[in-house]
Amino acid sequence: MRPIIAIASTTVGEAIRRRVLLVILLLAIVLLVVAPGLGILSARSETTVLKGMMLGIIQLFSAVIAIVLTVYMIPNEIERRTIYTILSKPVQRWQFLVGKYLGAVAALALMMALMCVVLVVVFIIEHQDLAAVADVLKAPMMYFVQMSLLAAVAIFFSTFVAPLVNFFLTGGLFLLGSLFNPFFQTLQDNASTNPVAKNAAMIVNTILPNFSNYNIQNPIINPNSQIQNEKTYYISITFYGLCYITILLVAGIWVFDRREV
Amino acid sequence: MKSRISQVSVGILAAAFFCQAALQRGFIFNQWKQSYSLSKNNEAGLSIGKGLDPLQMVFALAGFREMIAGILWVRADDFFDSGNYDAILPIIRLVTLLDPSEIDVYATGMWHIGYNFTDEEQRSDRRYIPSALALGEEGARNNPDTYELFFETGWIWYHKIDDDYEHAVDWFEKAQKRADMIPARKNLLGMAYQRAGLVEKGLQKYEDLENEALAAYNKNANDFSSRQNRDVIENNIDTMLVRMVQRGYVAELNKRSLEPYDVSPPFDVGFSAKATVVEPNVIKFEGTWNVLPVGTRVRVVLRDQEYTAEVDGKMKDITEPGGMIWDYSGNVNLDPPRDRTFMQDQLFVRNRRFNRKVDMSKDPTMYPFTSDKYLIEFFYDPRSAPPHIQDKFSWNGEGMTDKNFLNTKIRKDTRVVYATLTLTKDQIKRRNEWADKVPVVETSNYKEIDKAVGSDDVIVDIPSLRAGGK
Repeated sequence: MRPIIAIASTTVGEAIRRRVLLVILLLAIVLLVVAPGLGILSARSETTVLKGMMLGIIQLFSAVIAIVLTVYMIPNEIERRTIYTILSKPVQRWQFLVGKYLGAVAALALMMALMCVVLVVVFIIEHQDLAAVADVLKAPMMYFVQMSLLAAVAIFFSTFVAPLVNFFLTGGLFLLGSLFNPFFQTLQDNASTNPVAKNAAMIVNTILPNFSNYNIQNPIINPNSQIQNEKTYYISITFYGLCYITILLVAGIWVFDRREV
Repeated sequence: MKSRISQVSVGILAAAFFCQAALQRGFIFNQWKQSYSLSKNNEAGLSIGKGLDPLQMVFALAGFREMIAGILWVRADDFFDSGNYDAILPIIRLVTLLDPSEIDVYATGMWHIGYNFTDEEQRSDRRYIPSALALGEEGARNNPDTYELFFETGWIWYHKIDDDYEHAVDWFEKAQKRADMIPARKNLLGMAYQRAGLVEKGLQKYEDLENEALAAYNKNANDFSSRQNRDVIENNIDTMLVRMVQRGYVAELNKRSLEPYDVSPPFDVGFSAKATVVEPNVIKFEGTWNVLPVGTRVRVVLRDQEYTAEVDGKMKDITEPGGMIWDYSGNVNLDPPRDRTFMQDQLFVRNRRFNRKVDMSKDPTMYPFTSDKYLIEFFYDPRSAPPHIQDKFSWNGEGMTDKNFLNTKIRKDTRVVYATLTLTKDQIKRRNEWADKVPVVETSNYKEIDKAVGSDDVIVDIPSLRAGGK
């Protein structure tokens, strides 16, 4: 366990020192601060626009951070040959990969937490409503699981593809996975849909990670919506995420273990 | 050792894969659909992508839906200013799909779709009305805690459709169940009850509202709006009680003779009509109506004889006499049936006759005339009549009759005047054998206008409430 913790803490330190990530984070914070100004876009729904805008900023920038942070992780270690120093010590390859992943997730958690602090401050200044803030924060919590899954996808691909390809592959998969539920809903509710298409969609949904499960912002942005089994749903999607992360890490270890480094 | 690790890996992979698949298919998706989907009415899905430029699409997918909706609505405002009404339609749809809580967009969209698409002579394109209603229904479904879209949908039934007041009552009642309903707007339900022939319910509603208004006034006598609301309701009750007496309603309740009342015996309106195709796609409607005061408007409809639309996947006849089954469509379809013709206009009666030329030649998209046969419907519903006419005909047409065209079947509990004529496509377009002949169709009792007003005719001159009677 010690090697994993050591690699993870080193990874967090590296992530915090990477300027590109800090610039992305700074941009997100600036946008969160100016978001209340965009309330004018809707005459009677300023709060709706503000919540939607802030959650959108957190989700979008977290996704960018998660991808940028993880796609370079393994290839950089190989390119700089630092991996040889690490693997020459009593560190298994799986420990290296898991340590890297946990470090990335921890760094992501730090950055998302910072964005959430800004969200809370801006929201309290605008609305002075602590209960509403607590409600809004449910979304970033689920986004964190979503981004952890995204990081697992990126780290899995980073074991066998180049960073640039990985960037687009992971980004594409994230966009695709974010559309799954609305897409399946359209297919399911449309009586004229071809059964073959329905079955194909079902298979795709079983194989690829479904990121849209974590898009829980609609009832938070529009509080009039009714939510059923809220806690059970959150636990389920967290467990779903953990399952997928396990799959991706095990598959990543399997590939990495067989790779010539 | 290595093969054992491989076996463990495969085992973990299989277990995790099975767990996620079971969770996703067994619980998560259904739960997401129920509680977290953008739209629970099967409208949104991926269709939000239609009409968004790629950048907007990326932003919308990234979670900035409400912001994109706001930007689009600001853009729609520019189109309103420039009169580009067609461009607004897709924006309305996109905004409501992106942000189903945009009450103003639903309300403005309904009004826009229902009222603003007109021909050169300012006649509404009524093929859009089912879409306006469907948009209102969807808006009410998505915003069930506020009265606004229930009220707005009721208003389309009450004011635009203007002869199916049961639906208006239904929507206004739903609106009144919402806590945020504005007191002054509640009065309209009392009027809608009257228009629907539910006179006592109307009076009861006014009395209930009066109690509410008095309570609000007693709480704060200096509040101008409370005082004004109380005064308005008291005035409404006074007027209604006078009308109930004048129109013989009270006498009828007490089983007294109706003879001394204006509504008895029923007056024969002497309806007759003629339609002449004066030029291709231009029809002159003429006719008689033996009621002297200004204020009578006879509805004329010209439509495909077979007017069908897709309902639940099947083509069905969606017409009803003098109109259409306006809420036949559950879906918001902003592209109305382009191959159908449905013209509706009002024939204004002056000096006991009407004479109006309807020019449909300048608007081929609104009047495509693709069918072979067309039905002309003349329709008069006393429930839609102004109060001074209703003082003679009463709420449901009890004081009105017509020797030839009285109809008590096509509208429930109402005596309406209804007559039909038919024209062919060739006649309307003045083609083939009708190129040199003027097509004329008329009711069997039609007399030329100059002969229609004879000294023997009985003319009803309705006393005006405002003038204090004759």
